Amino acid sequence: MTAKLRVVLVDDHALFRAGSKAELGASFEIVGEAGSVEQAIAVIAQTQPDVVLLDVHLPGGGGAGGAEVASAFAGSAVKFLALSVSDAAADVVAVIRAGARGYVTKTITASELAAAVRRVAEGDAVFSPRLAGFVLDAFGAAGGNVAVADDELDSLTAREQEVMRLIARGYTYREVASELFISIKTVESHVSAVLRKLQLSNRAELTRWAARRNLL
Amino acid sequence: MPADARAAASAELRRPREGRMVAGVAAGLARHLGISVTAARWGLAIAGLTGTGAVLYLWLWLTVPSADTAAPPPLVRLAPMLRDKNLRSPLLAAAGGLMLLALAAMVAATAAGAAVPWQWLIPLAALLGGLILAWSQLDRIDAGARRGPISWLRLIGAVALMVLGTALLISQGRGPSSLVAALLAGLAVLAAVALVGAPWWLRLINALGDQRAATAREAERADIAAHLHDSVLQTLALIRAQAADEASVRRLARAQERELRQWLYQDRVAPAVSLAAALKETAAEVEDAAGAEIGVVVVGDHPPMEAAAALIGATREGLLNAVRHGAPPVSLYAEIGPALAEVFIKDRGPGFDLAQVPGDRLGVRESIIGRIRRQGGQAEVVSKTGGGTEVRLRLALGVKERA
Repeated sequence: MTAKLRVVLVDDHALFRAGSKAELGASFEIVGEAGSVEQAIAVIAQTQPDVVLLDVHLPGGGGAGGAEVASAFAGSAVKFLALSVSDAAADVVAVIRAGARGYVTKTITASELAAAVRRVAEGDAVFSPRLAGFVLDAFGAAGGNVAVADDELDSLTAREQEVMRLIARGYTYREVASELFISIKTVESHVSAVLRKLQLSNRAELTRWAARRNLL
Repeated sequence: MPADARAAASAELRRPREGRMVAGVAAGLARHLGISVTAARWGLAIAGLTGTGAVLYLWLWLTVPSADTAAPPPLVRLAPMLRDKNLRSPLLAAAGGLMLLALAAMVAATAAGAAVPWQWLIPLAALLGGLILAWSQLDRIDAGARRGPISWLRLIGAVALMVLGTALLISQGRGPSSLVAALLAGLAVLAAVALVGAPWWLRLINALGDQRAATAREAERADIAAHLHDSVLQTLALIRAQAADEASVRRLARAQERELRQWLYQDRVAPAVSLAAALKETAAEVEDAAGAEIGVVVVGDHPPMEAAAALIGATREGLLNAVRHGAPPVSLYAEIGPALAEVFIKDRGPGFDLAQVPGDRLGVRESIIGRIRRQGGQAEVVSKTGGGTEVRLRLALGVKERA
């Protein structure tokens, strides 16, 4: 095995950072910690880690929290995995659109978190069931909105919808692959395509949808 | 010592908003002194006949702030800023009292004198009337209420009376021409004062707006603090008390998390109008009953149709099965489109073969599959060895078919 992945923890709760450090310390090298937007930007710029575990809600900066940190490193090699207790769609969509490669909730188990960090480091996307649900909701999948062409940014292809549905149903990538008779690599490429659509789509409804979700 | 008695003994002198006859002076005095309200009213009325009582009443009216005696203790502790801070300055109170006393003395002197100096009495009466009109609005200004038309009429009347009184006082019966001149001079001075004072007045209004916004923020903070106190702190105390019992700690934490989430994000819709909310509530009930965690993802929504009860019932049964016989993580995924609702319940248990479940077991066969099929929907239980069990339910929305 190659050198340990270098990870920075960004969370304003010192207690949570300590917990993650204990859980991840064995398999990863924790090179830095930060508790605010300014600290995070400084620590990440200095240490250049492989992966940043990024809390969605962070004090400091312009008030945009984790999304602000992620967009400050847009285009760099640093990869972000968003971590949150928040269920608010607006928060999650904001941090993904700012460049995070995935989103998991803080209730995730240690082994799942470690797997998610590795997956993000390899350039793949990490979708929790909830994020998959958000995507299906945002792209109007329940209403039968299907993309005809693969490069259409504003809706998901039928295959992408299937993959998202299975993830939302609690399937692991491996289970999705065996259910759809495709390889895990294909599942990963579908998920990455969805992530790209989520980040690049200028579908006006996406932002409005996310905002509306919080008003309901 | 009963709490009521203690509270009464330490009650501050305030004019209560509830149960006042005129301005709440008697009621406030009674509460402050610990005597009956009737006694205070009679005492003031008898004193009023001698003249001093009236002055005392007016003086108390002007100086004692109008408020309910005390905020409830938790509110005081949580949001001290909310309490009425702008007690009027004692200097102003003393000045008001002195003025009224002087007025009373003057009236008494005029009454005692042989000749009645009408040229003094009429303007003084007009001035007094204007004063009373203006000062009677004090409570309304305090309460921060918006000015109604009546309030404006009173203000205009008060100003008119004051101007007239001043003009009469200055002209001293020297004919109508000097009265007009005095009136004009008075109005000019008033206009000048208004022009000079306008910036200050505007700033005062702005400051008042800021203060109201701050009060609203404080109220919100107090609301949050009260909520945290009622829910989170209680749960933390419970968790500490039951620290040895892992299952109940987990259940408490999960229930509290769910409750707080709902409160924070306010995405709660009544289950009666939303199938999504009804399914979420069902999952929450199963979580509470079984002490297990269920990952819930719901996409889309629809008002509950007739067959919704069957779908929810089957979902509940499926979730109960999953938490009892399966293994975590248990997940519930529901996709509610305009015409079709699909529900998937998945666990990671060892799985089982439906054909081998004895026929007398109603759980899966009747409560889940039968229920949905009777509503014209499709239900299946898919179990893979090592891959867990998945219950899949599909039900058309709107159209109800009886099998």
